[in-house]
Amino acid sequence: MTLALEFPPLSRLVEWKTLFFSGPLAVNKVVLIMWMAAVGTFVFFWMAGRRGSLVPTGVQNAAESVMDFIHNGVILQTMGTEGLFWAPFLTTVFCFILLGNIFEIVPLVQMPANARMAIPFFLALVVFVSYNTVGIRKHGPWGYLKSIMFPPGVPVAVRPLFALIAFVSDIFVRPFALAVRLFANMLAGHLLLATFAILTGALFRATIVGAAVPGALLVALTGFEVLVSVLQAFIFTMLTAVFIGLAQQTEH
Amino acid sequence: MRAKVFIAGGALAGVVLVGDPGVALADKPTEVSKCVENAVKTGQQADTCVKAPNPILPAANELVWGTLSFVILFYLLVRFAFPPVKKMMEERTNRIRRDLDEGERVRSEAEAILADYQRQLADARGEANRVIEESRQTAERLRADLVQRAEAEVAELRRRSEEDIRAAQQQALADLQASVKGLVIELAEKVVERNLDRETNMALIEGYISQVGSGRT
Repeated sequence: MTLALEFPPLSRLVEWKTLFFSGPLAVNKVVLIMWMAAVGTFVFFWMAGRRGSLVPTGVQNAAESVMDFIHNGVILQTMGTEGLFWAPFLTTVFCFILLGNIFEIVPLVQMPANARMAIPFFLALVVFVSYNTVGIRKHGPWGYLKSIMFPPGVPVAVRPLFALIAFVSDIFVRPFALAVRLFANMLAGHLLLATFAILTGALFRATIVGAAVPGALLVALTGFEVLVSVLQAFIFTMLTAVFIGLAQQTEH
Repeated sequence: MRAKVFIAGGALAGVVLVGDPGVALADKPTEVSKCVENAVKTGQQADTCVKAPNPILPAANELVWGTLSFVILFYLLVRFAFPPVKKMMEERTNRIRRDLDEGERVRSEAEAILADYQRQLADARGEANRVIEESRQTAERLRADLVQRAEAEVAELRRRSEEDIRAAQQQALADLQASVKGLVIELAEKVVERNLDRETNMALIEGYISQVGSGRT
């Protein structure tokens, strides 16, 4: 028995045709998901703020839990109290990424906005600008570069090599890795789900019973992707806080 | 308000569903097949016809919309959504702190009152003991007093009785002496009248004595 399994090229799984407008303002499915993520995040916090009950319930409770988590679980762990200035930014980043990710498993949408490079790239750029600005403002341009490239305690012999590696790593690799980590994880998850969905569909058409195993795996992977969505949003937020916190530190 | 949110969400979902019937195509099959035909005709490599886009480069339109979405979202959240939530959380924190302080104050107050009551209770107990002791002593004193008075009365009674007895005795003795004197005189008269012999005298005296003895008893 042969299976006529036709797997679409990568571009067919992540690139979507334009729905309206054109050129740089062209709107496709990914853009609609971005909008939904933005609107969803805003409505979530807005409703929580409107409730304003002293004893929080429902959406207010959830929103406060998120803010509390960013406050205590992320900022105080990495930057201390002087990092609280970044709480609104980090909360927005976390929620926007999380909602963008979670559309990966929302039925009929099933596409994570962050499986496209646009948002990870933009956010990493913002993070790049943020932590370098913080570092330069704190130490001055030369002091900041010095704190990165020539930390105390490095043997003289390896100083030039270390300086080069530290410079490239801290200045360029960090934001790049930050963006690629999010993008690649979400793309991989999306491809995994698509693969198993296509496989399950093909096997179901061919044998029915044969679809049981990949079908069960598909369900399990969907659950796993929920975890990945939350985890990647958390990692991005956490690393952003870590980078800004490191730049704020007086000594490396 | 909630209904509006649901309607807005539904509309957005509808746009996504209707506007997106399936996977999109970057390369239309017809263009690819034409290219392949051309390549075959001209003897070129057909691989160049299906050019996979580099997934790591962001698409311009998605970058523009992603940036706009984030920036607008960030502005709206910071301007309208975060402050009330933050304010409410701070209010709650203050309220809880206030309540805890108040609770602590009330507790220490209650403890002070309890200590006061306990002290008062101990005082009352001491007072009660003192009163009981005092009563006991008074009763004791009263009893001793009464006993003493009774004893004195008894002694007085006895003394009076004894005096009475003694008086009666003396009276009786005096009476006896008087009557003995009379009798002796009477007897002496009889003896003188009758010059009796010794036996007669003795019989007279004994008879007299027995008469007097029976008269005394």
